[in-house]
Amino acid sequence: MNLTTLLEQYGKLYLTALFTTWTLTAISFSAAFVIGILITVMRISPVGPLRAAGEIFVQIFRNISGAALLILLVYALPYLNLLFSYYTCVIIATSLIPAAFCSEYLMSGINTIDAGQIEAARALGMSFFQIIRNIVIPQALRSSVLPLTNLLVSTMLTTALASQVPVNPRELTGLVSHINTHAVGGVLAFFVSAFLYSATAVVIGRIGSLIDRKVRILR
Amino acid sequence: MKKSNRKSIQNVLYENPGPRMRARIRAATILSLFLLLLLLFFIVRQFLITGQLDARYWSFFLRPTTWRFLGMGLLGTVEAAALGGIVALVSGFFLMLARISRFGTLRFLSMIVTEFTRGIPTLLFIYFFFLVIPQFGIKMPPLWKIALPVAISASGIVAEVLRSGVNAVPKGQREAALSLGMLEHVVFIKIIFPQAIRFVIPALIAELVIVVKDTSFAYVVSFPDLMQNAKVLISNYDALLSVYLVVAVIYIVINYLLNRLSLFAASKMKIEA
Repeated sequence: MNLTTLLEQYGKLYLTALFTTWTLTAISFSAAFVIGILITVMRISPVGPLRAAGEIFVQIFRNISGAALLILLVYALPYLNLLFSYYTCVIIATSLIPAAFCSEYLMSGINTIDAGQIEAARALGMSFFQIIRNIVIPQALRSSVLPLTNLLVSTMLTTALASQVPVNPRELTGLVSHINTHAVGGVLAFFVSAFLYSATAVVIGRIGSLIDRKVRILR
Repeated sequence: MKKSNRKSIQNVLYENPGPRMRARIRAATILSLFLLLLLLFFIVRQFLITGQLDARYWSFFLRPTTWRFLGMGLLGTVEAAALGGIVALVSGFFLMLARISRFGTLRFLSMIVTEFTRGIPTLLFIYFFFLVIPQFGIKMPPLWKIALPVAISASGIVAEVLRSGVNAVPKGQREAALSLGMLEHVVFIKIIFPQAIRFVIPALIAELVIVVKDTSFAYVVSFPDLMQNAKVLISNYDALLSVYLVVAVIYIVINYLLNRLSLFAASKMKIEA
């Protein structure tokens, strides 16, 4: 099968698959980002149990393998009378794992903030939440643009998990296995998906370093 | 270094709270403890209601055969991760060599390959080895079918990590060695690379975590790793939830220990430097 016939036959499917991968990535990354910030606030809070819970969350989800987590969500949760659709399970898995890494990156972003700034804020009478909202989070975000860009790419790679369960429409990895089990797509079917993935990754990387150059705090 | 830094910023955020703040922290501690216990209670209750805590789901974990079988699966995981790690290290090394070579074409090719492997999910490579390679009549043992894609997918990052190590060696060392009459490749082998590899050991161990995680897709190529053996246990004892929970915990513990090892290596390096 050459490229023209492949694209003639499966071109539309590839476009839908690319769009599905993008959608999954966008939803998961947004969720991961929000959860990551919440977990980070828990980890730096003065409240012992919250700190411990945040730490446990991060250790669980940065160390669990994606396949194990997805299988637990899809096949084990129904035994606890918790039924989610395949799509929801994929979103949960591809959000929780990047969320843990997001929190790790934010923590190291926070550590770059000079302690004197926080002392100054406290001397001005700001409360803990004011300090977090106005001083810590903005700076932590600005110095974690590059790690977060990498996180966006690795979130996209994580969404390949969706190929392990029947979701419709298929994303890029699922499509390759679909084509190769139904027709002899050969190397080309693989390379089209691979190209779409890495082109997306390169574009994300470029935009990330552009933003980073704009917002990075020079110290 | 990192740890003490984190502590200091946490101390600064709320050092010496006054009586009112102390009272509020105490209240928040009690409230959050209560909420977390409530969450735990609901989880355990759900297990009880659905009968997942029944002895028949857990008692077979007392049998040594269960652990022997899981251990065999773990051995498969270790085997695949070790082979994948070694192949990734070797191919990452050559990619890095190409990236720092004086030939522009080689540098460009290496950059393309690195970007390509970093932007593609491991699963896609696994499907390539599972579905596409056999179409060419190439027969590969399952171990290689899982180790190779995992290695390819890690090689780009390994190359970048190694390159950052090479760049971290002070330039003067190379110049000094050259002025002593050493040849360029001797300088690299004897002076630069031994130091570079030591700089990046923590990052390489951290990358091993990703390799271990990626090998859990071994069931795609039916290589008997931890996940695959877990499936057999599940069909033997009809206990899906408990077995997969134990397997997940095993993965978490292994990767947690690897991460700790990486931190330990990093702290050791700091002391020596």
